[in-house]
Amino acid sequence: MNRRSFLGCSLSFAVLLAVRLAVSGSVDDAQSFALQAAEPYVKEGFQVREDYWGGDLGTGEKKAVRQQLFRGNEYWFWMGTEVERAKISVHIYDSEGKLAEQPDSWEKGHFAAAHIIPKVTGSYFIIVAVEESSEERTHWALVYGFR
Amino acid sequence: MIPFARYLRLGAIGLSGLTLCALAAQAPQHIDVKTLSAKIENVVVPLPDEVFDALNKLGTVNWREHVRTEKSANFMDRPRVALLLGTVIADGFIAVQAEDAPAVKEIGQRVQTLAKGIGVERSITSHAKAIIEAADKRKWQNVRQELDRTQKGVQQAMDELHDEKLSQLVSLGGWLRGTEVLTAVVSKRFSDEGAELLHQPDLLVHFQNQLQEMPQNYSVPIVKQIQQALGEVRPMIDVGNAPIPSTSVRKINEITTRLDNGIVTKD
Repeated sequence: MNRRSFLGCSLSFAVLLAVRLAVSGSVDDAQSFALQAAEPYVKEGFQVREDYWGGDLGTGEKKAVRQQLFRGNEYWFWMGTEVERAKISVHIYDSEGKLAEQPDSWEKGHFAAAHIIPKVTGSYFIIVAVEESSEERTHWALVYGFR
Repeated sequence: MIPFARYLRLGAIGLSGLTLCALAAQAPQHIDVKTLSAKIENVVVPLPDEVFDALNKLGTVNWREHVRTEKSANFMDRPRVALLLGTVIADGFIAVQAEDAPAVKEIGQRVQTLAKGIGVERSITSHAKAIIEAADKRKWQNVRQELDRTQKGVQQAMDELHDEKLSQLVSLGGWLRGTEVLTAVVSKRFSDEGAELLHQPDLLVHFQNQLQEMPQNYSVPIVKQIQQALGEVRPMIDVGNAPIPSTSVRKINEITTRLDNGIVTKD
């Protein structure tokens, strides 16, 4: 391959990659949706953390994140994806694997949220899952807030 | 003809059906956490503010006595600056709890200087300014948000420079200062609920693992001292369901105070 065709190939690949990324979105896009889900709660006094978790999952796949929570505080975890036809879920378990979330936790298409008022201070597992999606891999992001 | 009461009943059933759709689908009541180990992501270190908020709910805390604004020594070593930056950001959260606007403003400036010391000032200048402006207007919630953004900004900038280890030291510095103040408050007015806030064994393991993987050039004496001290703290907070006694709280306070002095003063 001569230098010119190599450059041409590289350029085309870069353009294709950029188009693919633009079409398929990113974890940052997913984070925007997670933050969108959190928005109404900020007015209720929840401080939303800047740090977040994210990645991509296939349909039916789950991921667990571990988080230190403090008794006395109240927490919401908000999950989002840019894939509008996806159905996602988030649930919270204590260190022994017992469901620990409040009954007002919710799922609505490409948004989901779980609410917890920890009974003890310690580590909790937050399980995120992609239940349905039109994409092979679905980006997700999880943010949390406390008050 | 359907009577009006029946219309009402049907409407109510329809409405509850819609609400239920939005509520979480039935999740298993129990999971086997041991099988999850391969899927666990990185730990997000709680802000000192999260612990302080929980402490506030246990009774009034005199935050003013924990506010610290005096300038610490200037360091050249990047790991030392990173640790110090973490403690100064934690000091910012303490000053916010005390609603001490002059202290918050000084801390905002200090953060900017330290960030410059490790070459990440560009990412945090706007946040440092926002801290100072919000403190002037006594908008404490905004100050909190900007302190969190500052920490995140510093860490992102370090990650971009492929200096994740330094970014971990910022979090560690903040955690140590937060724990020092938490144990000081709880020691003064001991309660089991207050001591329980120290129950953070996984977080401690997370820090220990990070310190173990520090490159040789970041293993400065203070980093080694912290590593050793975390080994002393761990059995005192990794107590399962048992309460953490006041003697442990006082001991952890001594350890974290010693480490904090080591972070802010020159060898």
